[in-house]
Parts: sequence; C-alpha cells; structure tokens
Amino acid sequence: MSLVQRARARLRALLRRTAADRELTEEIRFHLDQETEKNVRSGMSPAEARRVALAHFGGVERVREEHRDVRRLPWLEDAASDARFAHRSMRRTPALAAAAIITLALGIGANVAIFSAVNAVVLRPLPFPAPDRLVVVGEDNPEKQWHMQFAAPANLLDWRAGVADFQDVSGYFEGVGRSTLTGRGDPQVLRTSTIIGNLFSTLGVRAALGRTFTFDESFARGTHVTVLSDRAWRQMFGADPSIVGKSIVLDGTSMQVIGVMPPGFSYPADGIDAWQTMEWSAKERADIGFRRAHGVRAVARLKPDVTIAAANAQLQTVVERLQRQYPVTNRVMGASMVPLHRFLVGDTRLPLLVLLTSVAFLLLIACANVGNLLLVQASGREREAALRLALGAGRGRLVRQALVESLVLSLAGGACGLALGWLGTRLLVRLQPERMLRVHDFGVDTSVLLYVVGITLVSGLIFGIAPALWFRRRDPAASLKEGGRGAALGRTARRWGELLVVCEVALALVMTVGAGLLVRSLLQLRQVNPGFDPHNVFVAAVGLNNKYDTDAKQDAFMRQIQARVAALPGVVSVGTAMNVPFTGVSWTTEFIAYGRPANDFVPEIGMSIVSPSYFATMKEPLLRGRVFSDDDRPSTTHVVVINEALARAYFKDQNPIGQRIAFDKAPTATTRWLTVIGVVGDEHSDGLDVAPRVEAFQSSTQQIAGYANLVVRTRGEPAAMTAGVRAVLHDMDPTIALLQVTTMEALRSRSLARTRFLTVLLLAFAVIGMTLAVVGVYGVLAQVARNRTREMGIRLALGAQAAQVRWLVVSQGARLALVGLVLGAVSALAGMRVMGALLFHVAPNDPLTLIAVAVLLALTSLAASWLPAVKASRADPALTMKAE
Amino acid sequence: MGDQSDVLRGTLDLLILKTLTLAPMHGWGISQRIQQVSRGLLEVNQGSLYPALQRLEQRGLIDNEWLTTENNRRAKYYRLTAAGRRAVSAETAQWKRYVNAVELILDMT
Repeated sequence: MSLVQRARARLRALLRRTAADRELTEEIRFHLDQETEKNVRSGMSPAEARRVALAHFGGVERVREEHRDVRRLPWLEDAASDARFAHRSMRRTPALAAAAIITLALGIGANVAIFSAVNAVVLRPLPFPAPDRLVVVGEDNPEKQWHMQFAAPANLLDWRAGVADFQDVSGYFEGVGRSTLTGRGDPQVLRTSTIIGNLFSTLGVRAALGRTFTFDESFARGTHVTVLSDRAWRQMFGADPSIVGKSIVLDGTSMQVIGVMPPGFSYPADGIDAWQTMEWSAKERADIGFRRAHGVRAVARLKPDVTIAAANAQLQTVVERLQRQYPVTNRVMGASMVPLHRFLVGDTRLPLLVLLTSVAFLLLIACANVGNLLLVQASGREREAALRLALGAGRGRLVRQALVESLVLSLAGGACGLALGWLGTRLLVRLQPERMLRVHDFGVDTSVLLYVVGITLVSGLIFGIAPALWFRRRDPAASLKEGGRGAALGRTARRWGELLVVCEVALALVMTVGAGLLVRSLLQLRQVNPGFDPHNVFVAAVGLNNKYDTDAKQDAFMRQIQARVAALPGVVSVGTAMNVPFTGVSWTTEFIAYGRPANDFVPEIGMSIVSPSYFATMKEPLLRGRVFSDDDRPSTTHVVVINEALARAYFKDQNPIGQRIAFDKAPTATTRWLTVIGVVGDEHSDGLDVAPRVEAFQSSTQQIAGYANLVVRTRGEPAAMTAGVRAVLHDMDPTIALLQVTTMEALRSRSLARTRFLTVLLLAFAVIGMTLAVVGVYGVLAQVARNRTREMGIRLALGAQAAQVRWLVVSQGARLALVGLVLGAVSALAGMRVMGALLFHVAPNDPLTLIAVAVLLALTSLAASWLPAVKASRADPALTMKAE
Repeated sequence: MGDQSDVLRGTLDLLILKTLTLAPMHGWGISQRIQQVSRGLLEVNQGSLYPALQRLEQRGLIDNEWLTTENNRRAKYYRLTAAGRRAVSAETAQWKRYVNAVELILDMT
C-alpha cells in the first residue's frame, strides 16, 4: 500500500542521522560499555553483562527519540517537513499545482505591475530634496471659474517679494517649445522649456556642469543664456567637457551655455533638451499685460518648518493687497496652493485607483479559484488525512500542514507573479499615453517587494483557509468507513466551494461592469463629431526664427509656403492656424460686444487666427454668412468669424452677422472692433470629452499670428506629405525646421489615449477575471457531478432521462451564478459611482452595461456547467454500481 | 502520568546538578554517583538521564566537552556553568521547602 510506504519513507527521513545524533550514539555506547564492564566485574559473563546493561538502560531508541524531542526546534522542523510534504504532494498532482501557480501568478503579476505604477507615481516622493516643501501656487477667479490657474508674471513676482514663508518662487510655461539649433551641420530641433526665476534651485537641483540661472536672468540683460540637459549635451554636443561658456545658435539667436543638468533631470516635461529664460524687457514688465496674461505655472519652496497653512495665510494677505492695489486686473483674483506632488499626480490618481481595485478583485478571484482547487484536492486525500489522524497526528498539525501547502503554492505563484509583474511594468511604460505616468522606469523597490510578499502571504492564507478548516472538521472514523478514494466532498466543504464561486462571479461582474462602462465611454467618445473632418489632414508647425521679425516678412513667408505646398501632388487644400485642435495649445481672451455692457457675458473666449482656406481645409461647416477671403486686408474692415456656441450663448435669437465685437475687457478709444461676417460649426478643440468652447477666429490676412501651424488636406495618406513639405521649407529657408509633424487623425487618437489605455487594461483584467470565475464555476460543478455520479447512475437506471440529469447539474450552476450575479449587481451599483469622473456620457449605473455583462456572465456560467452536466448524464449505471 | 513524571523530572534535574557540583562527570558516572551517595536507594532511570542532561544544557545550566577517561576512552563530560551553580542553591532551597511542606502535611493527625 503506497500510503504506508510513504509513511515509512517519511519516518526514515525524520530519523536521518545528524551530528547530534551521532554524538548521542557514542555517549550511549560509552555508557553501555561502562555498565557492561561493571557487570562483568560483579561476575557476569560478558554476554550476560551486556544484556543486563541494555535492559537496565531501557529502550535505546526511546532515549534517542526523547533526546531529539528536547533538542529540536519543533516548529521549524515541522514546518520544513510540511514544506517537503507540500512539495511532494505538488509533484504528485503537477497539473493541479501548475493550474494553481499560473492562476496566482496572473493575479499577483497584475497586482505587481499596477502597484509598481501606483508606487512610482503616487506613493514615491518627487525626486527633489525636501519635496514636501514644494507647492504650486495658482490663481483663483470666481467670476471666470478659475481654480489653480496659471499665474500672471507680475502677481508671481509680488508673491515672491511679499510672502516671507516662501524660500523662493519660480515659474515655468507648461508647454514644450521647439527651437532650431543651427551652426552645427543640419538644423536640429531641440525641445525647450522656458522658465522664470531659478526653477532649478527652487526644486533643489544643481547643475552637473557650470551653473543654473540667476533670478535676474529672467529679465533682458543683453546676453542670452541657456542650460542644457544631460541628454542633449551628450547627443548633440558630444559631451564636450568645456561646453560651459560656449555659444550655440538657437532659432538664429546666439545663446551662451551656462550649465548642464545631471542625467535624468527633465522638468516640467519629458525629454527637455534646453532651458531658457523669458528675458522680459523693462517695457514688457511695465505693461498691463504683465498682470493680465495668465500663463505661468508658479512653484514655491516653503522655508523649513513652515506649514502650508501658515504660508497660505501670508499669501492671502498679499493677494488682498494686490486686489486693492490693482483693481483693473486683480479685483477678484485670488490664489491658493497645493503640494507639488499632489498637483502633478492629481489626474492620474483616480485611474490608478480604479486599476488597483480591479487587480485586487482579480487576485481575490484567483484566490477563490485556487481555494476551490485545493478543496477538490483535499477531498481526494480524505483517507490519507483520516489515516494520519487515526495514527495520532494532531489535528492542529494537519491544519497547519494544509496551510503550509497553500503558502508553498502562493510563494511559487508569488515568485512567478513578480516576474510577470516586472514584465507588466515594462509594458505599462511602453503603452502609457504621453506623460500619464510621468516615469520611464518603475523599478522594483522595497515597497513593491513588501507588497508582493504581503499579497502572496495573504492570498496563501485566503485560499488555504478552506481546506485547512475542512481538515479540522473531518471525523476520521467516518471517512475511513466511507471507503473509496475521492470520496464525496463533505457538506461544509461543498458549501465553502459554492461560496467561493458565488464570490468569484460577483467580483467578476463588478470588474466587467467597470470595464464595460469605460468601453461604452470610449465608443461614445469615438462617436463625438469633432466639428471637422480629421481624416487625411497633415499637420506641422513652422518654426519661424527671428529673421522674420516683422509682420510683413512673416506674412510673406507663410503665404509663399501655403502656395508652394498647395502645388504639391496629392494636396487638396492648405490652411494655417494659430492653434490646432487636440494639441492642448489654446488661447483665451477677454471679450466684449459693441453696445452691450461689459460683463454681460463670460468674459473669456477662445481665439485663433486662421487663414481664409482653413475652414475649407478642415471641412468645418459654414452655418451663416461667409468665411475670410484674400480680399480681407489690413486696410479693409476688420472681420471675425465666430462659432455656433458663441452665437448661441451670446447673440441668442439675434442675427450675429454684422454685430461688432472686440477682444478687450472694456471698450476704450483704441479698441479694435471686428465685424462678425460668419458663423461656423463648433470644434472640440480641447479634446473629444470637453464641450466645444465659445470661440472666435480672426483672419491671418488682417492679424499676424507670430507662429503658425500648417494644415494640409491630402487625397491619400497624410503622413506621406512630410518629405514634400519639408523639401519645400528647406528650399525656402534651410535654417527653418518643420516641427511637430503629425496628422489630425493621430492627434484625435492621442486625445483618446488616456481613456483607451485605461479601458484596455481594465478590459484585459476583466477578461482574465471572468475567465477565472467561469473556470471556477466549471470546477465546482465538475466536482458536484463527480460526487453524484452514483446518484445519477441510479436515476438513469431507474429510467430518468439524460436531459433531466443534465438539468440537475445545470440548475445548480445557474443557481450559484444567479446568486453571484445579484450580489455583484448590487455591489456594482453601489461602487461604480467612483468611476463617474472617468466616464463620458455614460452613467455609472448604466443599466445597459450592467444587463449586458450579467447576461454574458450568466451564459458563460451556464456553458461552463453544461460540460459536467453532459458527463453526468452519460454515467453508466452498471459501472457506477459495480464501483461500489 | 504526566504529573508524576514532572515531579520526577524536576527531582532528577536537581540530583544531576548537585552531583556535578563536586566535579565534571560523564553520564554514566553521574548515574553511578547518585546511586552510591543515596546508598542505592535512588536508582536513576538511565533512559531519562540523557534527555535530562540535554534539557539542562539547553537551559544553560551545564555544558559539556569530550575528554579522555583514565582508561583512555573518549567520553562526554558535563560540568556546571555559573548559572548552573546558582540554580543548585536556589533549587536546593526550593526542594527543602517542598519537603518540609510535605512533611508538615504528613505529620498532621
């Protein structure tokens, strides 16, 4: 009997000689020899003497055993032997062990990947010294519904001067600029960031070579200075150790390199090559625009041991003073601050939280599945357990052994999961939408390792509890009497298994509903009409340099390039625009209409300057009036085209054509009035999920943009235009680079990237979770069917129809699934509210999604119970009876 | 059974410790000495001796080394540690109190 043999082997293993054992043997031998000698001296024969000595000593083996009992560390040895036992039992049922480990590895791997992201983005502090002292200061304007808005430079400077608790305040422009580097072979495009004050020292970062900006260098001083990134220094300047002090030519301007930043530093965006300062002139500083143009992101470092509340109190004092001092611009302008870290991760927090919840559910489902597997396995080992109990093994020992087996499994799963999770983080980094996670490399640090160990142990306990409890409850006599290996699973164990499946189905439903809601959001988003036709539109920016320093020169250049690109083969039409939709770049301005009181309407509207052909190129519908023509000259009536949103919001029932508006706060003598000539459809410029803003367009023939984007409608693939447009530009002026080359379709797709990323991940997790849950349903029903084979055999023998028998099994599956679905639906309705902010035109309690997911799960569960049902209905009555 | 063996075990430990106050000794020697000194009244269950020695060693009351006996055999000698010496007096006092208490009860009429 193999069981007895195994028991023997185990005993032998336990008796393996150790050094301590050998010592004891020698000691006992000495003792016996002495005793024998004594007996011989008292007149016994040597053989007799030996026998008496042995008898006197008592059982040598017993002494050894007792000695060992005293010597050993029982729990450790037990644990080791339990682990060995677990290993052996895993080898005995490799398929089961593999299934369990794979299931766990999936669950743990998903958790590792997502937790690494959460850890890197949300938990890990910013990579700056004393990061908790860094805050973002933003402007609040209740009238314009601003909160934490970009600051006006003059206000920033006043905060810096007035708030004593600030160690320093500096600022930056959030957008990444493109500058053309010339004078070193072909022109190269550098990603640049423009900053105010010494952003580097505010953040606490030193230059690796040379120095960073001084505060005064934010203002025009004659010498232009720049700081390079480590990457740019290595790739474009050959890591020249004497670069500091040398001059480079950016956009035609000679700039002195004053420093190189350490590797890895890139703020405020990824891949910045060079930093430059605003270089405001004294005239600009005196202009009202300096306090009116809100474009700077302000970062402050608090003095040590200063609380945010204290600094904020000081800030409010300054803000109130500015409101009194500059009523024109600051009448209702407030300011507030939030920690820099929270500001940076604010919009990533919720998606990550949702993902983390989803993978936690996935792991729970995995645990429930493995728990069920182990329960099935435990039932197969019932006789073994009963025998061991009868032979005197403690119940506690059996329970502990079951738990150790679970832990061994979970550790194996955890190790595989860690590897899988590491791969997952690579994938996340590669697939993430631009700047969402703000990291390139998550790394596996202590927190991640602790997390893995934690969830591994916890899951081992979760899925180990069921079989462990089951071992505890079993009555050995009963199961020995029952006979037959693989005897029926006890009632309690079966209940446990069913409970696990119900939970699995419920969790899977919640996960899938979450994913389903996002899928619906994505579908809705894709259906949003952007207000123009994004197909076959090539987009690029022309980086004019300071050679083109007058309106006339710029105008001439842009006209010429439009004409030459229009002549390229495959081009339908060409236009220019100051802002292109979906690029995140926009311009807002104040607004009044002639003859209406100021503040009659929200005083901010979007403004763009476009060429006459822009609307036709974008296929933006003209609803009323006309669009610009080349006849609109600076000398003719100044004209403006407004969008439908503006027409509806401001002019309501009136005909807007012929009305006059101005981009100003209040009319003055110098106000430049523009006559409305047309109304066009709305563009979703800020993203498909953002309502179109109220917007007005000026004509590039009357107002020079200063910078311009080309939009080119093509007959074929728009990306194929790149070479042609570049050649035209190179022919016109080789020192000008074509920037941000893309297509409208790519920009549109990028605006969906975040939602798509989240949707794909949630959907992947939901599919895995659902599959596991359905496998769980199958597993439990297969066990049920097996347990009732005899019953089915009898039923069939007594004349039951196969269909009736199948129904017996399927109905049980349906019952479990139904309970799970109801439980899941209730939880989903309660829990999906947190998803609200991530959804677009879909309610968190969307009944369609809920019903669709429930039906899907119900059908797959029924399918999963069908297989065991069919098997049960084929039970051969004769065979099952004989097996008894 | 458990209760009885506990008392015996405690007694055996004390006897071993007391015996070792004279000189380091090997296991057989300890059993012989106890028998001699008690004039044959107490016979050490030799099977319990070695586990007891092991236990005392784990409690840090004795330690051991392998030495050569007068007839040139290697044997494991046990000797008291400092803690062991302190334990002898403490446990002796406790034992005496215990014996007195038992006597008082037995003398009751």
